Amino acid sequence: MLAMGSMELNFGEFQIVVMIVFAVIVIFLGAIFVLVAIQARRNVEFEIVTNTGYRLRRYWITFLVLLLGSSVVFSLFFTPYPGSAHTTATVRVSGGLFYWSMSPQKVPAGSDVHFDVTSVDVNHGFGIYDPDGVLLGSVQAMPGYHNNLDLTLDKPGTYLISCLEYCGFKHDKMVRKFEVSS
Amino acid sequence: MVPQTSGQQRTVGWLFGVTGLALFTLMALLGVAMRLEQGDLISISPEWFYRLMTLHAAGMLAGALASMMGGLWLVVRSVVPSLNFGRAIASFAAIVTGVVLVLVAVLIGGFAAGWTFLYPLPFHSSGMWSTWSTVTFLVGMALVGVGFVIYCIDVLKATTETYGGLGGALGVTWLRGRAPIPPPPQVIAATAVSLQGIIAGAVGTTIIVALLDHAIDGQVTIDALWAKNLTYFFGHTIANLIIYLAAGMVYVLLPLYAGRQWKTSKPLVIGWLGTITFVLTAYSHHLYMDFVQPGAAQLVSLVASSAAAIPVAVVTIYTGMMLVWGSRYRWTLTSVLLYLGFAGWAIGGMGAVIDSLIPVNFRLHNTLWVPAHFHNYLMMGIGLWMLAFVSYMLERASGRTARKRVTLLAPVALIVGGYGFIFSWYVSGALGIPRRWAVHPPGTQDYSIVASIFAIVFLLGFFAVLAEFISMGRQAWRRRGLATTPSAPPQIAGASPEADIASSPSPQPMVKAGFGLITIVAMAVAAMFVFFPPISDASELNVKYHHLVHAFQFFTGAMLGVAAASSPSFFNRFAPRWTNAALAIVIVVPVAMLLYMIPAIYSGLVDNDFLHASYHLFVVFLGLLTGLGAALLGRVAGWTILATAVGMALMFAPGVSGG
Repeated sequence: MLAMGSMELNFGEFQIVVMIVFAVIVIFLGAIFVLVAIQARRNVEFEIVTNTGYRLRRYWITFLVLLLGSSVVFSLFFTPYPGSAHTTATVRVSGGLFYWSMSPQKVPAGSDVHFDVTSVDVNHGFGIYDPDGVLLGSVQAMPGYHNNLDLTLDKPGTYLISCLEYCGFKHDKMVRKFEVSS
Repeated sequence: MVPQTSGQQRTVGWLFGVTGLALFTLMALLGVAMRLEQGDLISISPEWFYRLMTLHAAGMLAGALASMMGGLWLVVRSVVPSLNFGRAIASFAAIVTGVVLVLVAVLIGGFAAGWTFLYPLPFHSSGMWSTWSTVTFLVGMALVGVGFVIYCIDVLKATTETYGGLGGALGVTWLRGRAPIPPPPQVIAATAVSLQGIIAGAVGTTIIVALLDHAIDGQVTIDALWAKNLTYFFGHTIANLIIYLAAGMVYVLLPLYAGRQWKTSKPLVIGWLGTITFVLTAYSHHLYMDFVQPGAAQLVSLVASSAAAIPVAVVTIYTGMMLVWGSRYRWTLTSVLLYLGFAGWAIGGMGAVIDSLIPVNFRLHNTLWVPAHFHNYLMMGIGLWMLAFVSYMLERASGRTARKRVTLLAPVALIVGGYGFIFSWYVSGALGIPRRWAVHPPGTQDYSIVASIFAIVFLLGFFAVLAEFISMGRQAWRRRGLATTPSAPPQIAGASPEADIASSPSPQPMVKAGFGLITIVAMAVAAMFVFFPPISDASELNVKYHHLVHAFQFFTGAMLGVAAASSPSFFNRFAPRWTNAALAIVIVVPVAMLLYMIPAIYSGLVDNDFLHASYHLFVVFLGLLTGLGAALLGRVAGWTILATAVGMALMFAPGVSGG
């Protein structure tokens, strides 16, 4: 058991894109709320507001349906759920209060790793950070079930496995290393 | 016209609104303490941190729920006079008792399994708490749920009886051209929320009772994936419904300051039908990282989580903005908070929609992105509307609005502090900092320090508002007994609450004589096949099948109960006067039915045929009682509660075994 220790967390490229998209949305929404607040002082016939508003609403709903629909469909191509992909290493992972047991504890760089994740007691979250401190993803470790996660680990170095599902008073101490050799 | 409020409405408003706000205040202080600890600015042991974390979430949920229940009740009662004051008070009493039990469990018992009490953590305390505190916490949360369900049953009963059934109260009858006027929007909101609240309450009760069964009898085993599904269905739906309760209140309050009426439109009716569908099917996004969850559930959740944003963005928030645009909006503290709450809902909602995409969730699940988005809409949406609700009542009671400097400066502090606090979380989440960590990874404390500073700025604004509330409250106290309708809010042209009352309520039996009666008796008889020896023998071999048999036995009794209580002589004699007893029965008896299914009770009976048969007949009897109770609640509330009670028995079967 160790704390996150010397690993310094970093933003991944994916996470930066998510933040930028969200920032754009926040600025867009913020601008609308400011604009409406400014326009609230004016005296405009409600009929004029509704006529224009109802006309614009058609565009608004079309835009939203297209935006949300396309993002939902697009996201389906990038789900982390395991398919029938070839794997070169299987790592059995078991979470317990407050430790991770993993076998094997090292894989060669470039391995297509199949993590077979379960728990011996409560729900844990198997979060994996690469040697640069970027969170690659997570899967739940659940008692009585095996969740399988496939990841290609190209970067050699020390990865960190960290619990991402609250499991008790040493939850933040439930961290261990995992080696990817060059 | 400013809605006239009765003494009962004001009592409910003050009780729910002020209690909710008081809880919010206390829990906010705990929240800031936790943030200071994560920034290494103060020291709290991990044991106490996780206790406070559990209490903070459970208390906030109960406080926000109570407050917005009161807000919606106040505005709906003006157009649905049959809403029952006594049942509102009973609902309040259940919630307060539940909160007291949660406080005892956490502060004295040391319970710290998180407000979601995710099985099996409540029973693996690592020495932090004992079983009694788990039981106390679960009963406390169940009582909060019971309080909400009492409220929902009464609202559903009253709105559907006033507006001619479920279709009438949801505006569907009007949409189909079969009613001349639609119900007011707050009635549609109240009906939709109460329908979903009863379903969520039934799911929550099932998982809580299953955990209590396990606490009582260690032989009871629970499937972890099943437990997670039920827990998140309950938790997600209840938390989500709070903002929809609030929306119903805002439909009435915002127009008072815009001088324009919020009318029921076809998009509003369709939007609420969409909301019912999407809110009830979105919860599985909490299980995206459980890869064993069926793919269909993930797909439904993926679509529903995004689709849920459409009615909000296209109908409620969009219409709110149209009402404000060019209205010479009257900016008071109340109306500023009402307006800003929309922004919190919109921005927090988008943070949730982004996280509901599976590839994003894979990288942000259980990072600080998650508390960022729900604090965004809970704190900056519901939190501001909680303040707006109390502010509105104080404006009416004191006859004045808040002072100008408070109206100008406090919202600035709330916005700067609130969004600064929340955005530091969004960034921290993108950085991969896990949520629910007492001690944050080394080198990331600065994010917590920045967040703490912003949180304190938020609190300054918050306490400035509370101080103004105290001042207005004193004035209101001096004015008590005088006319309560102030000159402050403007008149809404053409609005007349009285005109919105469709007709006097008329409770209808669940089943009318004739074909309906024959149908349910036939269903009861068909369900009796579970008593046939080959079926009952086979079910003895597998506990889950045995529980399924119980569900059908319960169903048999329930159908017979409905048939008996729907007879005109019985219904007309007992329906109006026995409503409270019926309500108690439909809440207590299904719980008793689930508590009854533990090996400690039935394992000693299986060798004695008479006792064994009596055990099963008692399940039928419990169903009969539930059917009788449901029937006395009238057609819509009755069928809803009956379907959920039978659903509880059916849900229980696949997840609970042992013995």
